[in-house]
Amino acid sequence: MAHATAHHRRRARSTGISLSNVSHGFGRTTVLEDVSLRVDRGETLALIGPSGTGKTTLLRLVACFEPPVAGDIRFENEDPWSLSTADRLAARRRLGMVFQEPTLFDTTVRRNVSYGLRLRVGWRERLRRWVTRLVDTPSMPAVDEALETVGLTAAAGRPADSLSGGEAQRVAFARALAPNPDFLLLDEPTSDLDPRNTAVIEQAIGTASDDGLGVVIATHDMQQAERVADRVAVLLDGRLIEVGSTDAVFTDPDDRRTRRFITGELIY
Amino acid sequence: MIETVPLLVDAGAVFDASVLFDASVGLVDLPFRPGYIESIIGVSLSVSLTAVALSTLVGLPVALAVGFTEFPGKRLVVALINTGMGLPSVVVGLLVLFAVSNAGPLGSLDLVFTREAMVISQFVLATPVVTGVSLAAVTGVDDGLRDVAHAMGGTRLDVALATISEARSGIATAILAGLGRAISEVGSVLIVGGNIVRADGTSVTRTLTTAIQLEARQGRFEIALLLGGVLVALVLVINGVVLRLGGRRY
Amino acid sequence: MSIQRRGFLTGVGITAVSLAGCLGSAEASDSSALGTLTVGVTTSTYDSGLLDVLHSAFESTYGVTVRAIAGGTGQTLTRGERGDVDVVMAHARSLEDAFIESGHGINRRAFADGDFVIAGPPDDPAGIADLDTASEAFARIATTESAFLSRGDNSGTHVKERAIWDDSEADPAGAWYTESGQGMGETLVQAGQRGAYLLSVRGNFIALSDRVDLDLFVEGPVTDGDPALDNPYGVIAVNPARHDVEYELAMLYVGFLTGQEGQQIIEEYTIDGQPVFYPDGLSEDPNFDQYTPSEE
Repeated sequence: MAHATAHHRRRARSTGISLSNVSHGFGRTTVLEDVSLRVDRGETLALIGPSGTGKTTLLRLVACFEPPVAGDIRFENEDPWSLSTADRLAARRRLGMVFQEPTLFDTTVRRNVSYGLRLRVGWRERLRRWVTRLVDTPSMPAVDEALETVGLTAAAGRPADSLSGGEAQRVAFARALAPNPDFLLLDEPTSDLDPRNTAVIEQAIGTASDDGLGVVIATHDMQQAERVADRVAVLLDGRLIEVGSTDAVFTDPDDRRTRRFITGELIY
Repeated sequence: MIETVPLLVDAGAVFDASVLFDASVGLVDLPFRPGYIESIIGVSLSVSLTAVALSTLVGLPVALAVGFTEFPGKRLVVALINTGMGLPSVVVGLLVLFAVSNAGPLGSLDLVFTREAMVISQFVLATPVVTGVSLAAVTGVDDGLRDVAHAMGGTRLDVALATISEARSGIATAILAGLGRAISEVGSVLIVGGNIVRADGTSVTRTLTTAIQLEARQGRFEIALLLGGVLVALVLVINGVVLRLGGRRY
Repeated sequence: MSIQRRGFLTGVGITAVSLAGCLGSAEASDSSALGTLTVGVTTSTYDSGLLDVLHSAFESTYGVTVRAIAGGTGQTLTRGERGDVDVVMAHARSLEDAFIESGHGINRRAFADGDFVIAGPPDDPAGIADLDTASEAFARIATTESAFLSRGDNSGTHVKERAIWDDSEADPAGAWYTESGQGMGETLVQAGQRGAYLLSVRGNFIALSDRVDLDLFVEGPVTDGDPALDNPYGVIAVNPARHDVEYELAMLYVGFLTGQEGQQIIEEYTIDGQPVFYPDGLSEDPNFDQYTPSEE
């Protein structure tokens, strides 16, 4: 398996997310079958394939929503499901996730983006912060940075329901970014967006990657995959049929089905 | 307005709203001793607000638990909650009376004919309302939102708080509905409270509603209606304050 | 926004403290050094206003706090049976007898007599204005099938009404006879609106007379009318062997009611300038014996 070349990394630790022979299903339906995959920090992996082939399920498994029926998933060589609940939550906080729908909280943009930063606190600290908030608006540099990355610094005080769809998704992205995660998991983040907002998000992905984050982006947009990804994994009917560098997969794929999918022959 | 509300609650204090009240009521010659109306307003508010506060503390977690976990008999529980909203107040009063009466199991606590017993019976009446409406409110929150909270590494408490925050207008409605149920009922507080006033005319367990019933029974219908108007105005003020605090939602 | 929040927080804080104060301190200020007496009374007695005067005098003389709890006759006696009140005041002899015989009440004393009146629509459809006795009036009402409204709630008034029907040998059955199931005040109001005859406690009738359209036709002994309309009141202490009640305070209260001060208050009490009760203790032939219901 080809390794992505390292971009400058902020953290000394290496390794990343690895899936080994992961299978998953609901009831009698199998969604994923024997998937093995690896993503390192600093690299961007695009997960492509037709809708309904398990991309979302794969991302949810990586995000520790539930344990896989078979196989195991590891972060930095640690299986989160072997940890205590508290430790698993800590592991989950090292991931940022963006869904297809922005699903912002019913409050200001700033409070949305800072959500992840406000999770780690015990009730005493929570109470202290609530009281302080009545008198003053505390500043959070991580929030400002994240908003800058998506180009929405000016919108910080606006209520979430006043945003357009594209702006909302950008805020969702900033929200995932603000707690400084090790990995970003993006599930078709721009499929509902216009080209301008899509470009902003893709640029933000690039910035995040340059900062040393690993990115897994599920997308059905071939051009997007070509633009942002270092590596591509092709998922078809729950199986990983091909993994490789973007160039390799797009220009000279190993698998016949890959070629047909890329050229749009396989219509689902 | 916000400053006036807490003052209204403190029955012993002289309060600004009484000026407004006296001005409007001065047209009618009321046969009440000074302090009577203020004291019964105070009892109504203190009993009902306390009962609803307790109902919320119990009902909200129950609504979250019922709304977001699967368990056998869940439909039955929801049916029970909805049924509880329609409990006749006299029946609840009798049940509480049986419990706290001197002849009952809790007789040694000396709760019969006290405000504490009234809080208990109104708690029983208000909790299903608060729980049921909160349940509708929290289950109406987008699942995706809970996914977001969960994905960001939130504990179950974090997810619950995020849900409550999203559903806050529905929950406020639930609390106001519970308060409405409590403050306007007369059946249970009459039975467990006894409608008692002291010799100087200040209320021990007389509320606006039991006072209205007393006036109606004695044929003083206009006064009964006037007290009814006071009750409605009170509930209106409380609703107004809550809506105002809700900000631009409405 | 933050000013609003601050105000809200202040409001919540003050409300919480006030509520705590309201629930707690008020109860504490109720109990005096000598204790609290809980008296169960019927609504008609309570509404006559006599107790306000009696209890004020009792409280200032003895320093004991009195809580009067009004209810229907049945409800009042049940409260006595449950030990929720320390002493009961009623005016339904047969029900009081049952209360004593079942061991719930002891030391009954008669302390006052009121009376009943028969009232009805001013146009007097049954033509009872010329009659002097209750049983004659009831008989004529039944014969003419004029509208009659009963309490129908086993109160003292209802018990007396049934006794008069028995006496008159008339049958209170038919579309003209209805029951309100409510207290004296509500029944008076309803009778006034529907133009029906009724049996009423005198005190309540006087208190409402300017608000209901009813005329007085037959009166009781307070104004030298029909002795059959006598309404004797009794005060009964709840048996301390059955429940943890304030027995000494109850007997103190009974003593006050039957003593000089109480009896004088009862004699002097008026509603709209009219007498409502006559005291038992100040009669020429006072009955101070312990009352025991006779086995019949």
